[in-house]
Amino acid sequence: MSIIKKLALVIVSLSLVAVSSVSSAKPFSPKKPIELIIPAGQGGGADEIARLVQGVIEKNDYASKPVIPINKKGGSGGEAMTYVKKKAGDEHTLIITLNNVLTTPVNQPELGIDFFNDFTPLARLITDTFLVWIATEGKNTQGVETFDDFIALAKGNGLVMGGTGSMSEDELLLGMMRGQFGFDAKYVPYDGGGAVAKGLVGGESDFTLNNPSEQMGFYQSGDSKALVMMTPERNPAFPEVPSSYELGYPDLEYYMMRAFMAPAGVDAEVEKYYTGLLHTVYHDDEFQTFNIDDGKLMSWLEGFGLKDFLAIEYAKHGEIIKNFD
Amino acid sequence: MDVFILLLEGIFVSFEPLNLGLLVFGCLIGLFVGAMPGLGSVNGVAILIPITFIIPPTAAIIFLAAVYYGAMYGGAISSVMLGIPGASTAVATVFDGRPLAVKGEAMTALTAAAVGSFVGGTVSVILFTLFAPPLAEVALRFNAPETFALMVMAFATFVGLGGDDVPKTIFSILIGLALSTIGLDLITGKPRLIFFNIPGFLHGINFLVLAIGIYGIGEMLWTLEETKGKVQMSKLSVNMKEVGRAFGALKKTIMAMNIGSFLGFFVGILPAAGATPASLMSYGITKQLSKNSKEFGSGVPAGVVAPECANNSASTGSMLPMLTLGIPGSPTTAILLGGMILWGLTPGPLLFTQEPEFVWGLIGSLYIANFFTLVLNIALIPAFLMVLRIPFAILAPVIFVLCVTGGYAPTQSLHDVWLMLLFGFAGYILRKLDYPVAPAVLSIVLGPLAEKALRQSLILSDGSMGIFFDMAEKPIAAIIMYIAIVLLIMPAFGPLYKKFFKKAQTT
Repeated sequence: MSIIKKLALVIVSLSLVAVSSVSSAKPFSPKKPIELIIPAGQGGGADEIARLVQGVIEKNDYASKPVIPINKKGGSGGEAMTYVKKKAGDEHTLIITLNNVLTTPVNQPELGIDFFNDFTPLARLITDTFLVWIATEGKNTQGVETFDDFIALAKGNGLVMGGTGSMSEDELLLGMMRGQFGFDAKYVPYDGGGAVAKGLVGGESDFTLNNPSEQMGFYQSGDSKALVMMTPERNPAFPEVPSSYELGYPDLEYYMMRAFMAPAGVDAEVEKYYTGLLHTVYHDDEFQTFNIDDGKLMSWLEGFGLKDFLAIEYAKHGEIIKNFD
Repeated sequence: MDVFILLLEGIFVSFEPLNLGLLVFGCLIGLFVGAMPGLGSVNGVAILIPITFIIPPTAAIIFLAAVYYGAMYGGAISSVMLGIPGASTAVATVFDGRPLAVKGEAMTALTAAAVGSFVGGTVSVILFTLFAPPLAEVALRFNAPETFALMVMAFATFVGLGGDDVPKTIFSILIGLALSTIGLDLITGKPRLIFFNIPGFLHGINFLVLAIGIYGIGEMLWTLEETKGKVQMSKLSVNMKEVGRAFGALKKTIMAMNIGSFLGFFVGILPAAGATPASLMSYGITKQLSKNSKEFGSGVPAGVVAPECANNSASTGSMLPMLTLGIPGSPTTAILLGGMILWGLTPGPLLFTQEPEFVWGLIGSLYIANFFTLVLNIALIPAFLMVLRIPFAILAPVIFVLCVTGGYAPTQSLHDVWLMLLFGFAGYILRKLDYPVAPAVLSIVLGPLAEKALRQSLILSDGSMGIFFDMAEKPIAAIIMYIAIVLLIMPAFGPLYKKFFKKAQTT
């Protein structure tokens, strides 16, 4: 055999191997425990959903390997995102998103995170929205019955707003409202949504932009009331609270997304597996009931729809941040 | 009277076979989780949350509360026996628990820890039973200026903590404060002091990493040097005389029990503080007020009772804002809170009336869990004491492994293990140079809490410090602030006062 023949044989056999490996590719299944990175501390909204997903998977044996949630709360999600970026190609790492995945890459360019190329978006399960809350007995907000009353009051007086920390969703929202309604407020950051809700009822702040579950307890006891919900429609968990569209402020629309992403560079099979797993979780009765009762919006999105959504949200957040400085 | 009927029903609920079984099991897991360095109640409860989806909510909370509770007891074991704080809540237990063990009085230390925990836990659960709704109101009124005033008070007690050398103590406090500023700026949300752009610094210096380094590794190096690897305490015996002595020593700790129980509970019900600051503050204040405060740190039972009493008391206390306001009183209750929401309960002012079985079942179970862990701990003391018979040459590698896992566990990052080793070495050198390290450990815990409260208050007051001294608007903050100032200058005037007083007597 000549060298050329030998070479040709090698090439042919190699390509055969390649073809056969493609055609007989087995569907992916995890070979070791799946790390679920949470870019926030224990006990927050993202943590809650991550542990619910873990519980639902474990209880029903939806996955062959356990899911291990790991909190990396440093640097507004920067630590978690850096970690996942380094795990490019890793088939056993997932990250649950807060909106800080949209803001931190812009706010902290030194981390070198490229939102569109460092992650593989899998699916969005839930969107959560925000409401404008005041305390029923608030000393500076007496007589405020509607959102318009509130805007009129807020314009003249420097009200105090409690929030969950700088550059978090609610401070961005305050920036957005400042542009739309022309009022400003003194922003005081707290540790998490629960503390924000308590600060309002305790009389330290005049209003807050909590999401539904954070104020649920005080709302049910009548200590706090909501003026507007930042969505096109009313929410069954808060039947008497008008939507921003009803009030004629369609620009006042904001969502917090609970989506899952894998690191960049994972195979299509891996992507398919995890998307399927999340889909099973999404349709689990317990998962549905819990989220609906908690005032969340079930909003499955995957594939190109998800990519479009992320691109729009990323641009929108970039715009809000730009107006901030 | 209603309360007692409800409580009785609650106790019946926790005696149901499933609940009682889970309670016992939870206490055992808690003991283990608490005793394993780095695991602690936060991680323990977080790991166990998914398991609770398959049992009813009342059983779930009883189980997890038992874990939380057991961990408060368990933390003391490794603090005393190995000199490694088992959990962040047990760091203050090392201060006197370890020296007691080294003196051959480990029995006394463990007994003091167990009884102190029991007293703290019982006092707080009684307070909880009787005064939950009015206390929730207090927690609601306790905001940023009040929190900062409380932190100043805590720092004031630390100055007296490092012994006579005030400059060295202040140096140690400042080191701790400086380390506590690494990570994320709490107000602007920007990263700060990220050395060499290492991402590990983004989550700040975990307090346990410092504590395990200084106490675990530092202590190991120190003991190796002292014992040259031989058995530490050969003449250790467990007999009735020893037991009697251990319980006898408790007589001198009544004051520590009072301070620990009430202060612990009070700090516990305040949002976001929790058992770790409570135990440290209890230690500091007990030391400050004690007649023989100079002996603290060299192994006195009161120095073990004060923090242990406070951490159990605070862990019960921290459930109060969790249930009534839906806000966590400690990192562990933050996770429990998430669990409650997942079980379909809405924490808040209505929970007591809407879910009486859940609330009172939990409260009832705390009484039983308390009693059970006390019995368990006293019974296991002989087993724990065996550790001290092992030659240190064998024990040292074990401690080292425990320290490394302990450094890794809280954040699952190897970066923290390297930091821990660095702190261990630095701690050893500081000790050689006779610097007190306890104040540094304390300030790294309270530094971020104080900074946040200070900056929140100053935003509210437009930068005026007057917000802390405004008797009309914020009386609670002002009163605490004045007490803090008195506490701070007391040690400086103490010697002068004594001198003057003696003169007046002799003349």
